[in-house]
Amino acid sequence: MREKYDEEIKTELSDEEIDNLDVNAMIHEQRIREKSAEKEKRKQQRKESVQSVGRYFSDAWEAFTRGDVWVKLSSVLMGAGYFARKQIINGLLVMLAEAGFIFFIAFYSVPFLADFGTLGTVKFESVFDPVTLQNTVNDYDNSFLILLNSIISIFVIIVFVIFYIANIKNVYKLQLDKESGKHINTFREDLNELVNDRFHITLLTLPVIGVILMNIIPIFVLVAVAFTNYDQQHMPPNSLFTWVGLANFKSLFSNSITATFGYAFGKILVWTLVWAVFATFTTFIGGILLAILINHKRVKLKKMWRTLFIIAIAVPQFVTLLLVRNFFADSGIVNTICSNLGITRLLQNIGLVSTSIDYIPFLTDPGWAKFMIIMINIWVGVPYQMLISTGILMNIPSDQIESARIDGASNWQIFWHIKIPHILFIQGPALITDFVKNINNFNVIWLLTQNVFITHDQALASSNAKEVDLLVTWLFRLTNEYYNYKMASVIGIVVFVICAVFTLITYTRTIKGDREEDFR
Amino acid sequence: MKKKLLALLIASTMVVGTLAGCGGQAPADSAENTGASEGTNASGVQALIDATEGTVELTVWASEIQQDLTQQLVDEFEALYPDVDFNITVGACSEAQAKDTVLTDVTAAADVYTFADDQINELVAGGALQPVSASYTYDVAGENLSGAVEAATVDGQLYAYPSTASNGYFMFYSTEYFTEDDVKSFDQMMQIAADNGKKITMQIDAGWYLYSFFKGAGLDTGLNEDGVTNFCEWNQDGGTDVAQAILDICSNPGFQSATDEEFQTGIAEGTIIAGVSGTWDAEAAAAAWGDNYAAAKLPTFTVAGEQVQMSSYSGYKLIGVNPHSDYVGWSMLLAEYLTCQSSQEKRFDTYQEGPANAAAAASDAVKANPAIAALAAQAEFATPQRIGGNYWASSETLGSILAAGNPDGTSLQELLDNAVAGITAPVSE
Amino acid sequence: MGNITDDTVEKKEIQISRTDNGDGFLKFRKKLFDVLRYVLLVFLVVVWLIPILWLCVTSFSSQSGINISHFFPTSWSVDNYIKLFLKPDSVVRYVTWFRNTLEISVFTCLISTAFVLMVSYAMSCMRFKGRKALMSMSLILGMFPGVLSMIAIYFVMKSLNLTNSHIGMIIVYSAGSGLGFLIAKGFMDTIPTSLREAAKLEGASEFTIFSKVVLPLSKPIVVYQVICSFLIPWGDFVMAKLMLNSGKAEDWTVAIGLYNMLDKSLVNSYFSVFCAGGVIVSIPISILFVIMQKFYVEGITGGSVKG
Repeated sequence: MREKYDEEIKTELSDEEIDNLDVNAMIHEQRIREKSAEKEKRKQQRKESVQSVGRYFSDAWEAFTRGDVWVKLSSVLMGAGYFARKQIINGLLVMLAEAGFIFFIAFYSVPFLADFGTLGTVKFESVFDPVTLQNTVNDYDNSFLILLNSIISIFVIIVFVIFYIANIKNVYKLQLDKESGKHINTFREDLNELVNDRFHITLLTLPVIGVILMNIIPIFVLVAVAFTNYDQQHMPPNSLFTWVGLANFKSLFSNSITATFGYAFGKILVWTLVWAVFATFTTFIGGILLAILINHKRVKLKKMWRTLFIIAIAVPQFVTLLLVRNFFADSGIVNTICSNLGITRLLQNIGLVSTSIDYIPFLTDPGWAKFMIIMINIWVGVPYQMLISTGILMNIPSDQIESARIDGASNWQIFWHIKIPHILFIQGPALITDFVKNINNFNVIWLLTQNVFITHDQALASSNAKEVDLLVTWLFRLTNEYYNYKMASVIGIVVFVICAVFTLITYTRTIKGDREEDFR
Repeated sequence: MKKKLLALLIASTMVVGTLAGCGGQAPADSAENTGASEGTNASGVQALIDATEGTVELTVWASEIQQDLTQQLVDEFEALYPDVDFNITVGACSEAQAKDTVLTDVTAAADVYTFADDQINELVAGGALQPVSASYTYDVAGENLSGAVEAATVDGQLYAYPSTASNGYFMFYSTEYFTEDDVKSFDQMMQIAADNGKKITMQIDAGWYLYSFFKGAGLDTGLNEDGVTNFCEWNQDGGTDVAQAILDICSNPGFQSATDEEFQTGIAEGTIIAGVSGTWDAEAAAAAWGDNYAAAKLPTFTVAGEQVQMSSYSGYKLIGVNPHSDYVGWSMLLAEYLTCQSSQEKRFDTYQEGPANAAAAASDAVKANPAIAALAAQAEFATPQRIGGNYWASSETLGSILAAGNPDGTSLQELLDNAVAGITAPVSE
Repeated sequence: MGNITDDTVEKKEIQISRTDNGDGFLKFRKKLFDVLRYVLLVFLVVVWLIPILWLCVTSFSSQSGINISHFFPTSWSVDNYIKLFLKPDSVVRYVTWFRNTLEISVFTCLISTAFVLMVSYAMSCMRFKGRKALMSMSLILGMFPGVLSMIAIYFVMKSLNLTNSHIGMIIVYSAGSGLGFLIAKGFMDTIPTSLREAAKLEGASEFTIFSKVVLPLSKPIVVYQVICSFLIPWGDFVMAKLMLNSGKAEDWTVAIGLYNMLDKSLVNSYFSVFCAGGVIVSIPISILFVIMQKFYVEGITGGSVKG
């Protein structure tokens, strides 16, 4: 792809009649062409995927009905089919897995799954006996543990069903192989497969288990919590919570004097998006400009300059941000200096600072705080972007720039028509990930404003929100300080949907891997 | 019902036999001597000792600053029961944050922990406090100051062991600038500070402090009977006068709304010469001002031309027992030991925190402490914190708007109406 | 990668400047721009380094609280560093924290680098059923706000009895790392298929290709992953605070310990110690970052160029 692109640029530039701008037009056209082809491909894929789901189950059924007695027996004793084809170890392992599953479900999951519908009915009760100094506690239900373990169990069941279907198909295939006299693998050969054709299974098993444990199960649990009334009034182990359907979503999208979640949500969503746009583009452009400045041919000691900027980001973020927060505190050092230099007075005269206070409310006034947060984020983000842009700039083929120069292009033109498109082309996808990352940028906002910024809006205060909150910091406060898990989960789902929709619209085409073969 | 009755019955018979001091009667042999007649509680302890097998694993949370004394007291406690094998760990968790850490996962929290009394409602609601239905080594309800006991009581049930009684606020000042008469009036103090180019401080953007203005002017706020929601009179007649008074104070050149950290830094730097704060800043103030260090009750301030005495919240530090502890009995005994008279005296000696124990509080050394004397003088204007969770965010916001000089120019009545709506908002079912 | 060095840029410059014919005004303008460029650079460096400088000088302050009237401390001392290393008290257990964090980060780094490389290889170099579905799914999973799932992770770990343990922390930091394979996969995509095919023709197994062919060629991305995952435990305080909730300061990591020093009740006695602690953590990390610079650039740009 890059080669193609480079070639085009070269021909464009050597052809004096065509303006550089046409390069973009060309690329644009080409992209449109690619897009329509892609659309076709996708349509077809979608059709195929629907069919393949159907085939997945019909195949299993076919295997079961057409299989011999051993295959049929495998639907109960899963190892039977292997024993019949003399794959004793495989058979034993499968039987072991089956036994483990049954044991797990029977002795661990059933009590939780039984309560999944109600999330528990027996409330915690404890009686203290003053003579023995002991509490007698009843056999109470813990709604959260019921929810968590039920979801884990459902996962195990789903995995087992997939395994079960695969097993039936596999056993049937063994039968067919045997009938047609094909070689049947020994256990050793099967193991050997795992470092060859099926090496991906070896590679992916552990990471996938990790992801299921640390990402998927927690996400499902919290999606489920959004449909319950899990909050400070209903906290396990002392209280129970239960399913409430869509009530929480309703209170997010309704707005009344007493329930201000809808209002707070709207305000914070707007600021989150504004923040994400500013944070992404300011650091992006700032990084490129800094990289170009440092990489200018007549700047000496490039490495030293770069290193100086890197030192700023090498200090852990929580240290620098907490420090900067004290730096800009209402009675902090910057305020002392500004007041000594008369800057505070100046700002008061312009009207940027209220006359009733004699400090600059850097991180305490909503407007100032938003401005400062974006500025401080530039401070945090630009060095990273500078590093990346440096790498990309160094990789722009020199002949391109040279030939442009020979054609009389000015530095400015080279910058706009070669360097910027090149960086954008390479960084485009990363820019979108950055945007999503900024929507979820917890550290900067939290460390700069927590315990410092107090909202000036009573409606926000009633929902435990602040003007400078992002959706993520708001939901963190809701869980961490107010235990309002139900609303936090609803907000979490909304954040997720926003990010997912945004990404899917702009991103799938470049990342989904449809084109990855083109690059080789 | 039956349970409550039983507990009441036993508690009342039990407390009779308490002895002075804390450790004295517990060890095994002395328990035998006390005999059957009044031995219900001692036999309870003895029964516990007999019933205990293996190692008793306990965790105690105390604030970072008080780790050393807590460890020392724990060692003493262990020595009291030589027949029992203890493994008691002292962990760090500041009183102000206890609620956040404990409620996140009650079952994983410490067996015994210290917290500030404003958190007691939420801790009780979250099932994180074991009711103190009986005491064994000293009479918790009887020996402590009634205010402290009241602060540890919810719905008529005692839930915690009072540990200190000095968690309220008052006025620190430097005698270099102020006389005893000066500190009776906020206006006078601000005048002096402004004349000297210095500041006096109070944190306006915090519900805890803001209360003192409104309550002082007779506008109350507090907990409804349901124990969750609040009532609030701030937007009634005279409310706007109070708000205007706060605005005036905030815009006075001799005043600054400052947090504790800023107060401490300011007095060290010499820019702050007086301020409203609590005993936790006493050490810093004494260090900064030396012989000029002094403290007084809160001053009066001007509301619509009249002088009004500022009110305040009284504050206590309490020690609670986690009902999910594996060793509730031992936890209760340990909590009793940590709050008994001698322990409270040691706490005063080490950290200058005023004892909640009536006898300890009556000692000359305690009375001579300027900070605690100031608190005592403020006591008649102080009320215990009985307020639901919705109070804090809304009052804090009101305070921050006033501290910033009401930048949007909203009418004061509207500001108060909004704040009251937030404070009195219903709590979701 | 990186075949255009500063040298070649220099050469090009000479070529072009020859065409300038040495016009006096142009020369002056050039000089002026040179000076302006340096002035701008120095200004930016100052802006970027002021907080760091403040961190360093405050760490040598003999005053324990926050300094609000002077940038530089009024009196200097090394007490804060002595406190960190030689005089641990109930608040400061720096050496223990440092050891804890080091321990956690070494293992986190090993496991997550392995996971990332394994997943990237499978996704980049192998073709199997469900590969694209897995990739899209991992992309979507990565968008769920992490702070929200923390409480669920906590209870998952608690039911495995792994809270308040460093093994638990290692699992929390590294188990989900497989999701972060995109950059490494992009990098491996750039390794020519022909190399792997040649190895296959010689009878090498996929495992041999992975370990003997692809890994050695992925050095920049390996270094990048190693350093990135090594740094996670040093900067995280939210998750760590939730997981290590026994209140025992000996169990903490540097991040929790330092964060704790800024608690309302402690900040005025420990602010300068916090700064000293910040300086000490930053030294190894800065060194890593400077080393990483090159690999970071090569890894990232290699990963996203795909060419």
